[in-house]
Amino acid sequence: MSVSIADPKMMASSSSTRSLLRHTFVLTRRSVIGRLRQPAVLAPAFIFPLFFAALGSASFNRLASDPYFTANIATSFLNYAVAGAVLQGVLFGSTSAAGDLATDIEQGFFERLLASPISRTAIVLGRLAASMVVAVVQVVIFMAIFLVAGARIESGPIGFIGLIGGGALLALAMSAMMAGLAIKSGSPEVVQGAFPLVFVLMFLSSAFFPRHYMKGWYRTVADWNPLSHIVEGMQGFMNHELSASQFAKSWLIPFVLANIGIAFALRALNNRLAAS
Amino acid sequence: MTQAPIIATGLSRSFGTGDDAIKAVDGVDLEVQQGEIFGFLGPNGAGKSTTVRMLTTLLKPSAGTAFVAGYDVVKDADKVRRSIGVALQDAAIDPLMTGRELLTLQAVLYGLSKVAGKNRGEELLERVGLTAAADRRVGTYSGGMRRRLDLALSLVHEPTVLFLDEPTTGLDPMSRLTLWEEVKRLNAGGTTVLLTTQYLEEADQLADRIAIIDHGHIVRQGAPRELKALVGSPTLSISVASSETDEARSILARFGDLRPTSEGTLGVGLARGAEDVAAVIRALDEAGLKVRHLELDEPSLDDVFAEATGYRLEGADAANKPTESEAAPEEKKSRRGRK
Repeated sequence: MSVSIADPKMMASSSSTRSLLRHTFVLTRRSVIGRLRQPAVLAPAFIFPLFFAALGSASFNRLASDPYFTANIATSFLNYAVAGAVLQGVLFGSTSAAGDLATDIEQGFFERLLASPISRTAIVLGRLAASMVVAVVQVVIFMAIFLVAGARIESGPIGFIGLIGGGALLALAMSAMMAGLAIKSGSPEVVQGAFPLVFVLMFLSSAFFPRHYMKGWYRTVADWNPLSHIVEGMQGFMNHELSASQFAKSWLIPFVLANIGIAFALRALNNRLAAS
Repeated sequence: MTQAPIIATGLSRSFGTGDDAIKAVDGVDLEVQQGEIFGFLGPNGAGKSTTVRMLTTLLKPSAGTAFVAGYDVVKDADKVRRSIGVALQDAAIDPLMTGRELLTLQAVLYGLSKVAGKNRGEELLERVGLTAAADRRVGTYSGGMRRRLDLALSLVHEPTVLFLDEPTTGLDPMSRLTLWEEVKRLNAGGTTVLLTTQYLEEADQLADRIAIIDHGHIVRQGAPRELKALVGSPTLSISVASSETDEARSILARFGDLRPTSEGTLGVGLARGAEDVAAVIRALDEAGLKVRHLELDEPSLDDVFAEATGYRLEGADAANKPTESEAAPEEKKSRRGRK
């Protein structure tokens, strides 16, 4: 059988957006399939956030009796905990996605891709897009569980979309940064080793406890921690009427971080390719 | 395209800098002709894989030039990639995907349409005998199955030049034979094949020509038969009754140097090659001697290797070749930890 392969000249000129999109799409698909086929890796990104949310609700529920909390922060602690769970789930998921990329490098699949005539950028973008897809699924599942448990989205359907978009953008930002680390190190262990730092950053934010009740250095760190503002944007969708500041915090900050992360990841990729 | 599909001139690659720099490949000159199976023979760390990685655009040469399928591996790397098939040493295949999914992915990456990719995938699965396992995850495949899938993946876009880096390392004899057959079939269809191997038998069985590489240098290059002929004459061993040994020895001495053989047999290096066998038999017969056993041993590629390098490839390992043992880990390090 003879195979129709696009003319090399034509393919070269379409180094192009079309082939970039096509390659990114198939590599995204491959990454998503890979994630779904590793339930042991995927499960913590679902189980731990829900566990922490349940723990937080049980431990801090009496905050809901504080008039300041109900007037300014959340309608209930369950409603407050939703955004933290989303943040945590997305960060877990993005880290393991970067770990998969490092595994590709370590085990040689990355090299197989490099030996093929595809856009190098697609190799990274495929992973990042897959993280966003998984994040969207995560947010939808979390929301379904929380809504069944009694949470309410005060900002309505647009707020729901806001949460999904915020989760996806945060996944993009986080996975881009971790992908940069994965490409730079080529080691899954290094990526996994960086995760505790992410975890600490999460605890030093208002993901699990409102900044209003924090004191001293803990409060200062949380004030400066971008995760605090991202999660508060998401909490805004859950607990207040729709406002532009919710989008600014939960979309714009991750968007800026994503750009920095993508630049870092592509630079790491270029350095790796230049060194070979 | 009129020029040879693979041409390398002074190809070199160093790892590290300054005093710590290790020259993994040092001034390799190669010319692989259209339709050839070219064997690249050498022990671990000799520079085979590094050379292949340069020829397949995965590693930039430190010095020298290389053209593959008519394109410069540095300046026209993308065109080279479109023209070649590559099956690397470790058969790096995503264990979470099925064979069919990987073939479909590879087809898209090489620009085949969805339908053409699907058809080509089915054809290749059939060809490498993996149709029944096509929907199983690769993680469940045996080593031989993974190698065959790797080969199929490298053929998706019908490359004119195929690079196989130690395609049968770690395979059982049956899987090795199956892969050899497939390589021969591919070559019969016109595909130029460069394969690296550390197995003498593999090079002997498959390659039209071979290059022996040691410490990053090509030390011999040519057709296996020519190289063996250069090493020396074949050895004819015979056994006769013990009472006839002296007379047999004097007859054999007329055809070349007597050589040590196993106990109870006599050996002679045939000065004019295998064509003298009939004359030896005739001479022994005319003298009334009865030959009980006769054996002709051609020089082996290991003899060629030993003559060129001073040590034998069979049983060779990194431990007795310090420079080589350093080269391989250095490259691995650079592959994983480029900064």
